[in-house]
Amino acid sequence: MTPVHFSFTAAFTLGLMGLAFHRTHLLSALICLEGMMLSLFIALSLWTLQLEATAFSTAPMLLLAFSACEASAGLALLVATARTHGTDRLQNLNLLQC
Amino acid sequence: MSPYVFTLLIFNLGLGTTMTFASSHWLLAWMGLEINTLAIIPLMTRQHHPRAVEATTKYFLTQATAAALILFASTSNAWLTGEWAINQMSHPLATSTIMLALALKLGLAPVHFWMPEVIQGLDLTTGLVLSTWQKLAPFALLLQVSSTVNPLILTLIGLLSTLIGGWGGLNQTQLRKILAYSSIAHLGWMVLIIQFSPPLATLSLLIYIIMTTSAFLTFKLTSSTTMNALATSWTKSPMMTSLATLILLSLAGLPPLTGFMPKWLILQELVKQDLPMLAFFAAMTALLSLYFYLRLCYTVALTSSPNTITMLTPWRLNPTQTSPLNPLTTMLTLALLPLTPAILALVIY
Repeated sequence: MTPVHFSFTAAFTLGLMGLAFHRTHLLSALICLEGMMLSLFIALSLWTLQLEATAFSTAPMLLLAFSACEASAGLALLVATARTHGTDRLQNLNLLQC
Repeated sequence: MSPYVFTLLIFNLGLGTTMTFASSHWLLAWMGLEINTLAIIPLMTRQHHPRAVEATTKYFLTQATAAALILFASTSNAWLTGEWAINQMSHPLATSTIMLALALKLGLAPVHFWMPEVIQGLDLTTGLVLSTWQKLAPFALLLQVSSTVNPLILTLIGLLSTLIGGWGGLNQTQLRKILAYSSIAHLGWMVLIIQFSPPLATLSLLIYIIMTTSAFLTFKLTSSTTMNALATSWTKSPMMTSLATLILLSLAGLPPLTGFMPKWLILQELVKQDLPMLAFFAAMTALLSLYFYLRLCYTVALTSSPNTITMLTPWRLNPTQTSPLNPLTTMLTLALLPLTPAILALVIY
């Protein structure tokens, strides 16, 4: 595993752990999601250097566009949650349990 | 919701699935999955009810995580082997991660925990779209990678899903949660067979979609979302209630109804592949789901509940929310089993 591969894998894994084990706020989960997308953006950006060709160089922009849309959808849901539940604390998201 | 926005969202749902179907590059497949997720989020929050918003938030978090995992696994595979093609994924770390990510997308055990809560928070129509249309795109990706995934992972996920789908639905009275656990169980059956016969898994998915559509639409017709509401649904529409019994038994997989076809063919294929113990355990876990389907049949048609007289004689008005899909899917749910040889000839051989 090359150092570059290790670094974006480690960044992604840290973001994933943060997203999986989010404890208090919904916003921290969204931030970890953004961190994961950022590590993937860096991976795709460095892929062009790995290929030593410009074949795949628009891929990071495509990923950035979609992850920006996703982040905005997440923030809209954060606002909607704050409006219906009063807060973004995750212990308030308990209406649907069995 | 404005009809223009609604049309745009439905169009994007179709676009996302079509993009994932048509793609051979992982980035395009990921983009199709993201479009699907983004398109269904506003559809889920059409009513700004706290339950709907909570379900949407949980759905968004799980689907976004799964999509990011898919892209991470394909990027790792590209760094390790240089391949971006979906059916050429070869590195074991990448294929295992992809399998877990697709399991999270589809709602398979052991990452199924979001599914009952999300479907519970939605109205029946959106729950139907979530259970049927949203399964198509990840399933297409699963079909393409299943030949290279570690078979032990596939078998474990499949068996665990059938077990948890049966076990988890036992203590439920809300119909949408029961249908969510039924989805988990049926997808478990599909994953069990996908490594041996992908056409059989596709046939199983198609039949599951038909059965679930008729179940959701029947519940929508009688506006029933709990078992108690089902108990008095015979007053609203006696015909649909008697058919609902048969639809539920078809979901359970009892002959001579259509639901028996996928289970029968899957068990036959497993035995042909010299795995009789796996077939035995899968059939035993189907008994668990049979229990809660049969309990629903009891409340629907086989027993009369002790309700008051006023609840038992409402005005039988013409139902306002009829769907043209309801008769078609109900008919297919009940009567497709004799066509099994023809379907086999068309699909498998």
